[in-house]
Amino acid sequence: MRLPAIAPRNIVMPLVVLLCGGLVLYPIGFLINESLNVGDPSAFPPEEYGFDNFINLTDDYRALANTLLVSCIATVLAVIFGFLQAWILTRTNIPGRRRLERLMELPYYMTPLIGALAWGVLLGPKTGLVNQLWRSAGAPGDLFNIYSAYGIAWVMALFEGTVAFVMISAAMKSMDPSLEESSRVLGAGKLRTALRITLPLVAPGVLSATIFVFAEMLGSFAAAFVLGIPGRFYVVTTVIWQATLSFPPDYGRAAAMGLSLFAVMLVTLTLARLVLRHGTYTTITGKAFRPRAMDVGVMRWPLLGIAWGYIIVAVILPLGALMLTSFERFATVILSQMQFTFANYQTALQMGSVGPAFVNSLILGISVATIGVVVIGVLAWIIYRSRMPGSGVAEYVIMFPQAVPRLVFGLGLLWAWINLPIPIYGTLWLLALAYFTVFLPLGLRTIASVVLQVDPSLEECARVCGAGWGYQMRTVIMPLLRPGLVAAWLLIFIASVRELGVSIFLMGPNSKVIAPAIVNSWLSSSSELSAAMALIQTATVFIAVAILFGLARRVTGVTQ
Amino acid sequence: MSEPRIEVADLIVRYGDVIAVDGIGFDIAPGELVTLLGPSGCGKTTTLRAVAGLETPSGGSIRLNGDTVYSAGQRRNVPAEKRGVSMVFQSYAIWPHMTVFDNVAYGLRVRRLPPGEVRENVRRVLGLVQMLEYADRPASKLSGGQQQRVAVARAIAFSPNVVLFDEPLSNLDAKLRAEMRVELRELQRRLDITSLYVTHDQEEALAISDRVIVMSGGRIEQIGTPEDIYNRPRSRFVADFVGSANLIEGKVRGPSGTDGTLIFDAQGGVELEVVGSGGSSDRATVALRSSYIHLGQAPGSHNAVAGRIHRRMFHGDFIQYVVDWPAGQLIVRRPPTELFEEGSDVTVSFAPVHCVLL
Repeated sequence: MRLPAIAPRNIVMPLVVLLCGGLVLYPIGFLINESLNVGDPSAFPPEEYGFDNFINLTDDYRALANTLLVSCIATVLAVIFGFLQAWILTRTNIPGRRRLERLMELPYYMTPLIGALAWGVLLGPKTGLVNQLWRSAGAPGDLFNIYSAYGIAWVMALFEGTVAFVMISAAMKSMDPSLEESSRVLGAGKLRTALRITLPLVAPGVLSATIFVFAEMLGSFAAAFVLGIPGRFYVVTTVIWQATLSFPPDYGRAAAMGLSLFAVMLVTLTLARLVLRHGTYTTITGKAFRPRAMDVGVMRWPLLGIAWGYIIVAVILPLGALMLTSFERFATVILSQMQFTFANYQTALQMGSVGPAFVNSLILGISVATIGVVVIGVLAWIIYRSRMPGSGVAEYVIMFPQAVPRLVFGLGLLWAWINLPIPIYGTLWLLALAYFTVFLPLGLRTIASVVLQVDPSLEECARVCGAGWGYQMRTVIMPLLRPGLVAAWLLIFIASVRELGVSIFLMGPNSKVIAPAIVNSWLSSSSELSAAMALIQTATVFIAVAILFGLARRVTGVTQ
Repeated sequence: MSEPRIEVADLIVRYGDVIAVDGIGFDIAPGELVTLLGPSGCGKTTTLRAVAGLETPSGGSIRLNGDTVYSAGQRRNVPAEKRGVSMVFQSYAIWPHMTVFDNVAYGLRVRRLPPGEVRENVRRVLGLVQMLEYADRPASKLSGGQQQRVAVARAIAFSPNVVLFDEPLSNLDAKLRAEMRVELRELQRRLDITSLYVTHDQEEALAISDRVIVMSGGRIEQIGTPEDIYNRPRSRFVADFVGSANLIEGKVRGPSGTDGTLIFDAQGGVELEVVGSGGSSDRATVALRSSYIHLGQAPGSHNAVAGRIHRRMFHGDFIQYVVDWPAGQLIVRRPPTELFEEGSDVTVSFAPVHCVLL
């Protein structure tokens, strides 16, 4: 055999990498191109180039200020929530810590969209359930108005609080308890140890969580959309949406704004990663420690209350409000006025475009997840195992959509595919392609974590035993990756069914999907119907999770 | 002597700018067990993996059973799965999603043996490693020692000509390692398996090998039988890395006139009779194994110098003394029956044949 042998893998590998890389870079290229378009906004290719779109960004200073305001409030709140929860659940001896820790995933499954709908139902002016109670008690006006900067920040903080919790508790858990113990042994008291040892060691984790949450906030769309539009409160993402779908559309402005947002986010996210890499000391050894829990005495009851309080406010209360509303003819908490009905669910499943939207979302979720897992599985193996030249660059490109706000990427995709002679605009094919592109990082990260855990010698041993590439894949590599593949399937499915930012640009009249349909129903002011739709969507996700967890337990139960 | 099973010539392996293996060569005869010994990063594992086909060298050639499997000159590189060698990995590489039986049967099934023969062979090799009763266990439910046995069984199941061992015992605890060492050697001898064995444990290398190749910095320091390596180290590195040795600095004055030995002047006016070749030199080193030094005047030890016990450490199987003598300090290992108090005066003596001029 000659050295430059052309084995099947030598063709398959570059092909997959090029294809996926192209899918990611193509829309970004269009976005950049469009942002420099200063001529007729709907002409393609642009007739005139210039930087006017970027220069004119300052005209939208109100939206920029709003974005900063909302992001700052939400970040501060989220980090406080996350830090408190992380400290209570990892470092104190409150009862039922393990169960609470698992429940902390729930706010993340709620999504900002569901959260915004639910809090709209609860705290909307006039019609909000809490405000109804307030008024029925004889008080004037509204107690709260969720259609405001504070409302958006509140909803986002409840959601991002879980993100902060995960990052901060990881920092707290990975700390070697002997670092604190040696401080105590050397004679320092509890407080001194906490201030001089624990806090400095945890600080980089908290700081990077803060920056990360802030960056996510800058690009967040759903809550600002649902709660901002009714009160004409605009942030950058909603301005982009408006500029794109208004008539005449101002694509150049939207693209320039999107790119600037992306640039700011990229810088902030890089900063977060730098803080995490350079700021963390050698405490992160990869070993899993269970730090010794502090005995908090009677304080454990109030702390338990705080821990549960977060879950009640972030999950149980909003879901309860949605559920109540979805079964009512008119949303109310006044007992005498309640009229219960199933009509909302019937409408949700039958109504001209809404029923098909559910079906479309399911079809998309299942097919994108299935094809995605196969392609991303090969991709992960190429990037992390094959030592193919340029695999580092490939990883960077594939992970790129992660740093781009979903809505901005959706804008790029819209432009990229509308201008392609392939007639897939307005069809489910385009949505599938778009979903696949934006979920590449999610899938790659999930599968990579498993690929990296598989000892390379397991595969090398199969080679030495005489197995060819295909045989190795089938008998050793794929079975070992199975838990990761199942997890990736699940995550991509869930993300697809809930996708909003890309879908809102790319769905056509015959290819409606569920999340934008819910938003539209909300904006045409039927909170009861929207609640029913949101709950059906949530239930779909939970059922999928339950089925897959059952499956996963069977699959992995055999091997472990 | 029949044709060598493994022939490595001028092998070079580069990782970017780093040269991991720097032009080494050796032959291994049928049925021989040869060890690549050296500290981590010396290129021993890279060499083994190049022979297996898991690393692509940048130069030289590798022949297995007379066939060229790698040759930079002929631009030839047979992939690992076509080389027909077998390998035991440091991490054992036991596939956790299969049973013990399936693990061992893998190489046989790849070769499309009929199920009857597969079963027969698997039972035979599992019997050899005393793991027959575990055949139907999930492989993930095994202890370290058991995984080790399964890894060995899997490596020999398809009766390969050549088996490569990549630090197979380094993950076992000391006692189990000593036991497995004996078993591995037994098995290798009984089945007449040609083996290339990588280890960083000099004791293991000496105990198990027909020949030892000591490597350092990507090059071969010395090739020889274990006795050769221990008794006649050729370089400072070998003397220091293999076994416990005292390195004595000094000058070579010239021939002593008896038995072809040389006169060596160490520091502190110590004059020693040593073995070695070459004439006088101003800077020279003599290696002296700590086990070959007597405390007291031993018969036939021409070299005898007065010293004092500085420190005594009781190890159980031996006692290690640090002895002050005019040329500095000496490490001396004596059987636990030879007990001296710290501070007592002794005579250190040793034969010229054990003083190896490097």
